[in-house]
Amino acid sequence: MTAIRDADGPATRAAAEHAAPAAIRAHGGELVIDHVFHDYLAGGRRTDVLNDVSFRIPASSVACVVGPSGCGKSTLLGLAAGLLRPSKGALYWDGAPVKMGPTSHLGMAFQQPGLFPWMTVRQNVAIGLRTRGHSRRDAQATADRFLDTVGLADFKDAYPSHLSGGMAQRVGIARALALKPRLLLLDEPFAAVDAFTRLKLQQEFKTLLRLDRPTVLFVTHDVPEAIAIGDIIVVMTQRPATVQRIIPVSRGERDRASPAYARKLAETLECLGVTSDMGGE
Amino acid sequence: MSPGGSRVTAWILGGAGALAALVAWTLLSYALASGGGVINRLPDPLTVARELVRYAGGDLVRDLLFSLRVFALGWLLGATCATLAGLALGRVAVLGSTFLPIVEAIRPVSSIAWVPLSIVWFGFGLTSKVFLVALAVFLVVIVYAVDGSRRVPADLARTATMLGMNGWQRFRSLILPGTLAEVLIGSRVSLMAGWGTVIVAELVAADFGLGAHLIAVEQSYNVPAVIATMICFGLTGYLMNAGFSVLERALMPWRRDDVGALR
Amino acid sequence: MISARPIVRRALLPIVGIALAVAAWEATVLGYQLPAIVLPSPKAVVAALRELLVTRAFWRDVGVSLYEFVAGYLLGALGGIAVGVLMGEWRVFRMMATPVVESLRFIVPFAWIPLTILWFGTAFTGKILLVAYAVFFVMVVSTTRAIAQVEPTLSRVGTMLGMGRWRLAWQVHLRAAAPTIASAARAAAAIGWIAVVAAEYVGASAGLGLMITNAASSLATPVVIAGMIVIGAIGAGVSALIGWLSRARLDYR
Repeated sequence: MTAIRDADGPATRAAAEHAAPAAIRAHGGELVIDHVFHDYLAGGRRTDVLNDVSFRIPASSVACVVGPSGCGKSTLLGLAAGLLRPSKGALYWDGAPVKMGPTSHLGMAFQQPGLFPWMTVRQNVAIGLRTRGHSRRDAQATADRFLDTVGLADFKDAYPSHLSGGMAQRVGIARALALKPRLLLLDEPFAAVDAFTRLKLQQEFKTLLRLDRPTVLFVTHDVPEAIAIGDIIVVMTQRPATVQRIIPVSRGERDRASPAYARKLAETLECLGVTSDMGGE
Repeated sequence: MSPGGSRVTAWILGGAGALAALVAWTLLSYALASGGGVINRLPDPLTVARELVRYAGGDLVRDLLFSLRVFALGWLLGATCATLAGLALGRVAVLGSTFLPIVEAIRPVSSIAWVPLSIVWFGFGLTSKVFLVALAVFLVVIVYAVDGSRRVPADLARTATMLGMNGWQRFRSLILPGTLAEVLIGSRVSLMAGWGTVIVAELVAADFGLGAHLIAVEQSYNVPAVIATMICFGLTGYLMNAGFSVLERALMPWRRDDVGALR
Repeated sequence: MISARPIVRRALLPIVGIALAVAAWEATVLGYQLPAIVLPSPKAVVAALRELLVTRAFWRDVGVSLYEFVAGYLLGALGGIAVGVLMGEWRVFRMMATPVVESLRFIVPFAWIPLTILWFGTAFTGKILLVAYAVFFVMVVSTTRAIAQVEPTLSRVGTMLGMGRWRLAWQVHLRAAAPTIASAARAAAAIGWIAVVAAEYVGASAGLGLMITNAASSLATPVVIAGMIVIGAIGAGVSALIGWLSRARLDYR
């Protein structure tokens, strides 16, 4: 049912029509992570997770955080979302300190789609809007729009148990985007699907970002994905993690057939301590 | 729901909760003592504690031994029958297909329903009570026994074949230990079922044991003694459960048992 | 071994088993010349059952027992789920309540029977409270555990969508844990039902348990066995009803 949407496909055109004139405006705010340290207590032992992490995500840009597993990338997301309070240091959103607890500027997608199995797909996307006070009719209309955009128009009344992994992830992302977030946080959202689906989802995701242009913090372990999606790549070290390097990505470097891409890939992998030449002895 | 929170906190809060419950009990007993309300005669915890000490110095040991004897005999009988039946029904396909459905149909009917029949058959004596406990234990353990007799780990079976074991050797080295391991686990689950059956049997028969004592003090309107006896019963159950867990962990350290399984 | 097709094994052999069991029963009665007091023949039991089903007193007794059971069950289940949710959601409360819950768990409902007789006599209230107690503890323990096992992502999603703590508990945790809670409710029904019957054995003015005990005293064994069959049938019926209800409402799995 879902076809591959390339950059100028019909879905994008239709979405652009829906999006109304101001589609080019910057919607997101600036996220600043300022000398953040974080540790937690488990089983009586203190574990250091983040060790002086600092970087800045300009408004409406996409930052991809890459690093070894368990290095605290997800913790970073939790801090940015206000689900955790940093042990030391602070995070700032739009100039003000990040508040604890649920906030209205935020949208998040997780590794597991986390759809409520007792609700239909449409209800799953609409529930966030209902919680924020929209009427049922408005919420459902908005949900329908976003489901159309991700190509799941035919599955609005289906239950999550009927969806494949990729489809469920699309619903999860639609749900996050339907909130019109100014800050979008994603925790390896494409990690649990197969490689083909992942490539398709990456393309669709970039298209979706053009509609509302939130600020995005995208955690991934997949370096090609980070180059494809990100405006900057934040490379983290092992736990206790700190920022190793911030690598900007420009348009020309996203073409996987180009030498510029290969150089960017090599640069990033080298940062992570991986040689990009697999043809050695 | 964040993990962590030290064990000390759990102990402190748990203690506080227990204390709060005792205080509530005491307050309730005073409130009700002045008459009014359906429940009169709720003794405060101290009175119950005094009664408990008195009972402990008196007939408790004798009654307890009676009840434990009933329980032990019934449990042994029930577990043994369940193991044998489990082996037969689990390993011999014809028997299993034929009779397991009947067992499955009867299982939900607690052995408590059999009390009147047991009285008709065996009267009020020891035999009747042992029969009921054995039945209760049997109904619980049989499922585990059948499971255990069927579930031989595939790699062990292959090893046995490779080593050229004959039927009897396989049985002794593979099937029997596997079945017994499951029976042990099922036995812990059946502990509370069996112990509960003891008390019902003794309530009805009312000749010896904790249950009989319970009826006796009930009929003499001795509420503190009733509550004290109930506590004895619960305490014994708890100790048996704890003891059994220790035994299980010692005999089968690689198993992770399901604490708090439902009856 | 058996080369017959599975359906033969699954349908035919159990029937053979039942037939064998009944035949063995009949044979034992005839062979040992057992008096009806000890082991009545299957025919006698069926006759007794038929007799019961047309007796008004029987249905009154069934009604009494069912009433006590249903009232106690609803009370205990709702209370147990509510407290279970509280324990699942509120860590402090859970740590405080656990010792109390765990200790009371070991005082099985049957041990409470004499006390309820002392306090409430043979009236309905005592048995209703007894059932409520039995069901309550099963539901508290299982609800707490069911809520603890809810997939953590669902909680994070709910928080992200802006749900406050108790809205999250009600709209997400409870819904997600519902299937597990429903199967615990089935087990609780079995325990509650047998608690009513046991209480009526010890002291009652009406009810199924009393009827059976009376029959046992007058050695009317066919009636006793017929009564046991009724107990089993009602127990199975209640369990099936709860199972059907939970499948109808909760079948989103």
